[in-house]
Amino acid sequence: MSTVSGAYGKGGTPDTTTRPTKSAVRNVQEQMAAWKNVDYTLIPIFSILIGGVTVFLIALTVGDWDYWADWRDRRWWPLVTPFSLIIPAAIFNYFFWKRFRLPIGATAMILGYMFGVWVSRYMNFHIFANFPMNFVSPSTFIGMGLLLDCTLALSRSFFLTGLVGAFLFAIVLYPLNWVTMAPFHVPVEYNGFLVTVADLMGYQYIRTAMPEYVRIIERSTLRTFGEAVTPLTAFFAGFVTLLNYYLWVWIGSILTQNRWLTRLI
Amino acid sequence: MKTMKHIRYGSWGALALAMLLTLVGPFYSPAAEAHGERAQQASLRMRTMHWFDTEIQPRKVAVNETVHVTGRFMPSQWWPEHIRSVEESAFMNIGVPGPAFLRIDSRVNGVPMIRSTRFHLGKTYEYDVLLKARAPGRYHIHPVISVEGAGPIIGPAFWVEVTGDQKDFKHTITTMTGNVINPETYAMSTILWWNALWFVIGIAWLAWWFRKLPVIMPRYIKVEELGDDANQLITIPDMIVSALFFGFVMLVIAGGYFWANYQYPITSVLQTGKVEVEPLPQPPQMVEVEVNKATYRIPGRSFQVEMTVTNRSPRPVQVGEFNAANIRFINNKLLNVKAQEKDDLVAATGLRVDNPPIQPGETRTITIYADDALWETYRLTSLINEPDGRFAALLMFFDDQGTRYMQEIGGPMIPSFG
Ligand SMILES: [Cu+2]
Repeated sequence: MSTVSGAYGKGGTPDTTTRPTKSAVRNVQEQMAAWKNVDYTLIPIFSILIGGVTVFLIALTVGDWDYWADWRDRRWWPLVTPFSLIIPAAIFNYFFWKRFRLPIGATAMILGYMFGVWVSRYMNFHIFANFPMNFVSPSTFIGMGLLLDCTLALSRSFFLTGLVGAFLFAIVLYPLNWVTMAPFHVPVEYNGFLVTVADLMGYQYIRTAMPEYVRIIERSTLRTFGEAVTPLTAFFAGFVTLLNYYLWVWIGSILTQNRWLTRLI
Repeated sequence: MKTMKHIRYGSWGALALAMLLTLVGPFYSPAAEAHGERAQQASLRMRTMHWFDTEIQPRKVAVNETVHVTGRFMPSQWWPEHIRSVEESAFMNIGVPGPAFLRIDSRVNGVPMIRSTRFHLGKTYEYDVLLKARAPGRYHIHPVISVEGAGPIIGPAFWVEVTGDQKDFKHTITTMTGNVINPETYAMSTILWWNALWFVIGIAWLAWWFRKLPVIMPRYIKVEELGDDANQLITIPDMIVSALFFGFVMLVIAGGYFWANYQYPITSVLQTGKVEVEPLPQPPQMVEVEVNKATYRIPGRSFQVEMTVTNRSPRPVQVGEFNAANIRFINNKLLNVKAQEKDDLVAATGLRVDNPPIQPGETRTITIYADDALWETYRLTSLINEPDGRFAALLMFFDDQGTRYMQEIGGPMIPSFG
C-alpha cells in the first residue's frame, strides 16, 4: 500500500523517482494503465454485485409489494420500499464518499439493482412464470439514488444528506413511479364492482399461491385522513427513512473502517 | 493464501446461491405438480371441504377457448379447531400452474368472486369458474378454496389439454374511461421509455465522475493524504453539475407525475374488501344418520362405519356413495360411476353395503365398508398418527327413483390392528 501511495506524490502528480523497484508496474504510464483497469473492472463488478445483493434484500423485505402491479398501494409499498432500499444506499453512499470522495454510491448501487431486477423479472416472472411483463415490471428507484448522491455532493455532510436527501429519497418514490402506475390505476367496472386495471389483471392472471386476501392493500387503522393518505404516508416514510439513513451511515462507518479494507486487500 | 482464496470462493458461492434463490424463490405453486393435495394432513383433507359434482368441461381446447370448472362444496362441520376457519376469510381459487389460463369469471351461488368472502360450515355452495386458455400444454386443473391462515384446500381435478400457440392469445379489458386495452402489452412502451430514461440519467451521473480515468485509486490515495481536507476534491464544476442534476431529477420526477396525470386523468386506488354469499337453501333433512362407531382396519385397508339411519323420506333409500378427502367410494350395486381418467379419484367398487334399502319411516343400524387401496395411496391411513384423529365424510343416499339425500358424518376413528 505504501509503495502505491508514494508513486502518486503529494500534490497528486505522479512521482517517478519513488516508484517501486520490484513491481510489474515500471513507469507512470503503466501505473495509470493499471489504475484505469481498476476502474474498468471495479465499478461494473461493484454495481452488479451490490445490485444483486440489493435484489436479494428487496425480495426479502419488500417482496410482493414490488413484484406485482396490483400490490403497489398508497400505504405500505411507499413506506416499506424506501425504508428498505435506504440501507444499501446509505452504506455505499457513505463508503464511496469516505474513501474516494465520490458521491456515487447510492446511484451505482441502484443502477446495479435495476439491472439485476429487470433480468430477474424478465427471466423468472415473464419467461418462466409466463406473466405479462407490464404486470411484473419493477418500479424505478434511480432518481432516488441520484437525489441522495447529489445532496451529498452539494452539502458534503451526512447530516444534511439525511435531512434533505434521505427525506426526498422516500417521498419521491410515489410521484417517480406514477408514470408507470397511473395506467394500471384506471378504473374498470367488472361484474358490478369498481376495480382498477391492476386489480382485474391480478384476478384474471391466475396466481394460485396468491389468493385475493393476501394482498396487503391499504391495511391500516388510520383511515380518518381520507384524501391525504398518499402525502401523509410519504411524509411518514420520509421521516423513518431519514432515521434509517443515519443508522446505516453509522453502521457503514464501522463496516468500512480501514482495518477491514487493508485486511481484505 | 490458499485458504484465504478458498474462503473467498466459498462466500462467493454462497452469495451466488442466495441470489439464485431470490430469482426463483417467488414461485411456489402448490398445484404445479399434480396431487399436491396428498401432502396435506389426512384430517385436513377429510374435515375441511367436501367437494362433489366436480366437472371440468371441455377437456380439450385451443388457445382463446374457454373451460368451465363447476361443482359443489360443503365446508365440514368437523372443521379442525387448530386451523383458521373458512367462516372468517376465504377465496374461490383455481389450481393451475401460473397464468396458463385466465380467470374470466368465477361465481359461487351466482355471486362474483373477485373478492374474498366467507363460507359457512355445513352449508352447500355451487361454483362456476370460467377459464380462458392462454398457454398450450396439459394441465391438471383443481378448484381450490384458499382459506386465510389455513392455506389452499384443493378439490378434485381433471386434465385439460390446450392446443395452439400463445402468440394467438387475444384478450381485452374495457376501462371505465372507454378504452379497450390489451393487458398483455398495456403501457409496456411507457414502462420501457421511463425506465430507459432513468438508466440514461443515472449512467450520465456516473460518467461525470468517471469522465477522466483513472479515478478510484488516485482519489483513494488523495483522500488518505488530505484527511480532513479531502472535501476539496469536490471542485466547483462538480458542485455545478451536482446542482444541475439535482434540479433536473426533481424536474423530471415532477414532469413525469404531471404527464401521467394528464394522460390518465381518471384513476382510482387499488380495491380490496369482502363480498357476502348466501348458501344454497338447505333441503329438509330426509335421512338422519348417527354414527355409532368408526373403525379403520389397517391390514385390510378397510374403513367401516356403524351407524343408525332413520329414513323420513317417502321412498326406500340406500347408501350409494361415501365421499372422504376427495375420494369417492361407490356402491356399485346402486351406482355405476367409473373413474373418468387415471387420476380421477373414484373407487368404483370401493363401498360395500350389505343391508337392504331402508324403508320409509324405518330406523335401522347399518354398517358400511369403504375398502380400497386409495386409502393407502392417498395417505389417509396417516389419520391414526394425528393429534386429533377424527374423520368426516359425506354420505350420499339414493331412493329408488335416484333422488339424492346428503348427510355429513364424522367423529372419532379407532384403528384396529388385527
Ligand atoms: Cu393435480
